[in-house]
Amino acid sequence: MNNHIKRALPSAVALALLGGVGASNATVFVQCPGDNDGDAAWDSPGETQPPGVKCKSLIAGDSFVNMSDSNPLYIFGFGEQTGTLPVDLIGDGILDAEWPGPTIELEQGDEFYLSLTNVGTVIRPDLFDPHTVHFHGFPNAASVFDGVPEVSISINMGATLTYYYNIVEPGTYMYHCHVEASEHMEMGMLANLYVHPKQDFDGCLSGLCIKSNRARVIDGEVVDPAAPEGYVYNDNDGTTAWDVEVPLQVSSFDSKFHDASYFVQPLPFALLKTTYPMINGRGYPDTINPNALPAPTDNTTPVPGFPEGTESLEGKMTGNPGEILNNGTPTQLLDSVVTVTQGETLLLRLSNLDVGRFFTLTAHGLTMKIVGTGARQMRGVDGKNLYREVASVNFGGGESHDVLIDTTDVAPGTYFLYAAELHQMSNLSQLDGGMITEIVVN
Amino acid sequence: MKPIFKQPGQLLGILVLGLALVMPWTQSNAAHDIRGITGGTTPGTAAFNLYAFPFNMNLPDGSSLYMWGFGDMDNGDNATHGNVYGLPQYPAPTLIVNQGDVVTINLTNTGVPQAVGIVVAGHQLSASGGVAGLVTNVSRDKNALGGVPETVTYTFTAAEPGTYIYHSLNGPNPGLHAEMGLQGAFIVRPAGYDATTNRIAYEEAETDYDQEFLYLLTEVDPDIHFQMERGHYAHSTNADRLAKIWFVNGRVFPDLFQGDFNTLYPHQPYQSLALANPGDRVLVREVNVGHDSHPFHHHGENLTFIGRDGRPLSSDGVTANLGRSDNTLNSAPKQAVDMIWTWTGKNLNWDIYGPISTTCTDADNNMEEDGNPLVVCNDPNCNDAVNNRTLAAGPDGFDDDNYQYCPDHGKVLDDLVTLPGVQDMTLGGWWSGSPFLGDTGDLPPGEGGLNPFGGYFLVWHSHAEKELTTFDIFPGGSLSAVVVLPPYIAIN
Repeated sequence: MNNHIKRALPSAVALALLGGVGASNATVFVQCPGDNDGDAAWDSPGETQPPGVKCKSLIAGDSFVNMSDSNPLYIFGFGEQTGTLPVDLIGDGILDAEWPGPTIELEQGDEFYLSLTNVGTVIRPDLFDPHTVHFHGFPNAASVFDGVPEVSISINMGATLTYYYNIVEPGTYMYHCHVEASEHMEMGMLANLYVHPKQDFDGCLSGLCIKSNRARVIDGEVVDPAAPEGYVYNDNDGTTAWDVEVPLQVSSFDSKFHDASYFVQPLPFALLKTTYPMINGRGYPDTINPNALPAPTDNTTPVPGFPEGTESLEGKMTGNPGEILNNGTPTQLLDSVVTVTQGETLLLRLSNLDVGRFFTLTAHGLTMKIVGTGARQMRGVDGKNLYREVASVNFGGGESHDVLIDTTDVAPGTYFLYAAELHQMSNLSQLDGGMITEIVVN
Repeated sequence: MKPIFKQPGQLLGILVLGLALVMPWTQSNAAHDIRGITGGTTPGTAAFNLYAFPFNMNLPDGSSLYMWGFGDMDNGDNATHGNVYGLPQYPAPTLIVNQGDVVTINLTNTGVPQAVGIVVAGHQLSASGGVAGLVTNVSRDKNALGGVPETVTYTFTAAEPGTYIYHSLNGPNPGLHAEMGLQGAFIVRPAGYDATTNRIAYEEAETDYDQEFLYLLTEVDPDIHFQMERGHYAHSTNADRLAKIWFVNGRVFPDLFQGDFNTLYPHQPYQSLALANPGDRVLVREVNVGHDSHPFHHHGENLTFIGRDGRPLSSDGVTANLGRSDNTLNSAPKQAVDMIWTWTGKNLNWDIYGPISTTCTDADNNMEEDGNPLVVCNDPNCNDAVNNRTLAAGPDGFDDDNYQYCPDHGKVLDDLVTLPGVQDMTLGGWWSGSPFLGDTGDLPPGEGGLNPFGGYFLVWHSHAEKELTTFDIFPGGSLSAVVVLPPYIAIN
């Protein structure tokens, strides 16, 4: 096999993108009110953030990641570039896709300007895929900003599409690319997205709950020991109060699919198999590493998942085992550390963006109270709370659950949150990995 | 600003395309009902004559798939919408009866090489005729009986309203018959239901609706069908089954957007493209007749669950008050869920009808310029005197006639963001060229063209995205959609 050394030459590639695609009008154009220089941040003289306005500048591109057994995989993904000037956006965004994409955290009432710049897939120069953001669960979505390419618009390489979202419903959403959804989502274009309720600031209008501490901190006030950190919904009765929140998004990679993409082979959709189950883009024990993982490195073959019959001692990606990929840029930034003090209420924002299968999450010794599904409080049309206390949550792609765990009667210790499909606790053939994280009660 | 005119020259094309691609246009009432067959006009009874027969079904890649199906032996005599149709079909004919009906199904196997029967989820059927099978009496292939047809008669009472599944369950491999296509939906209208004056799914409050659609989910493993086609009836085991094609109402993307009874798909009569006007309550009867679970996701808005497996989600028998809201249904095999979906465009913070025009007239307040069909007229008025849902006096935020959300009326999208030029975008076939409802924009040659009414297409699809493929080809599979149409487009 002839391995190619794939070093990114950002300036050269950017030039190729801008000049070689034939789209002479392709422009990086990041729109954000109050921002004058197109970096989606109010960080220069004369720039002020309008009240209630949030901006984010993301790229869509490609990069490498390491699975927890050190297998390097090629991915597509979103990358954070808020604060990057337009002139640098493509150069900086190349080979900087994150896995999972940057978490988006919003307040009810925000006007959210999300700019997506397509930097192309430099590792697959034969591709010229457009990309989108689909804000999954967005209420009353108009097709123009719904991100579904078959029925709407998607953004070409070298250009920017700014999505506008008026944020009116709190809850746990998610976002992902919808272009060639089977492929781009399996390749890693997935991320957490959630919205805090106005009740955090207003307290319950009924008088049953008070302003949350996260709102007090935002407003520059003194925290109140009697107040929770926040609420999940505008419940008006305080029943969705929480002290610690952690978004946990489950998904998986099929290493054969990713290797097929890297080696420009037909993609196995029907035969897609969960070989690397993950939480927030990592398998255990990387899930409990609070830091960004180091930049991925190439690995000798055979590594697990390498196409059969092609094993060699060369590195899979570059030919050089140990060679640092992504120009040394870390791409797995998000952990799944859950730490709570006894007596506190833990909020798990569980979402599933797996493209192939359902998962069931369980945590021995802990009771999960589901208070919301699909970014809505579980409440009937006549106002009754329909919360359910369960020991496990089964969900498929596109489903989200807001789960509260009250630790008042929970003894301090380490509790495992894991896939009840116990064979999913592995990183391919490496056991005691995969879909596991730890809930530490102090 | 000038009103949003469409090119007059496009009008004919719009109408022609609309007839072919978007609107069935077969009925004059302004609401969509699920297509199917009823059991005749005799009050208190419903009688069906079905047969079972093999056929080959089209797939969009040009291939075909060998199937076993039920067909209506009465050739559509009691079809809900007058369609003369009697072919074996996938899925089976949707049977629609009234609560309390004594139902009779006569089943004759005229060619399926195994003996077939019928079970109806949630119902005890008494059977006569035929021979004893795995769980009920079954009808043997008449070709194995010297050409003499054998009929089984099933009778039962449709006591409770709701959505159910019926399918064949027999033979040495009981899962085979549903896999091969011998399955469909069975719908019971509640007491008090009236197609025009009282459109309800159950007797309980909050189950009323404007539009009604069936989302029947199935999946197949083509290898099994190849084996059956070759007569290798023992060459399929459940352990080997791996689905590779995923369907809604028996079709895959993009075939499922085409109208009901489109002759391009002679054995797949049912479309799954749902249609709604803003504010419509859309009843989705989502049933999984397959062997696998599917997480089925609905873009555009959440759905409120109102019933499951033919029982309303109610604690008091008065209101469907136990239903939660979700945008994705965890749809388990043989599970039927009834849900209400409503899209209004509320709170987008920009006017979905584009800039206000002061030069057009819209006396009937339907967003269409008077005398100019299909020209958006977004006049300065937003008339909100009553609650559109309850009809009580007092504003609810929505225009009383066209459901426009008044607080967003006149807010200009261009003041918020500028869309990229068309050269920087890839445009979908169902993109109208405009972000505004009912509007179309300039599109490059060969782009778009499948959305002549300027509707908002919002996809409804399996969120296990591997299922958006047809035998490894993307896009395909269970990728369907609802299209929100401006209020002056009648839905049939």
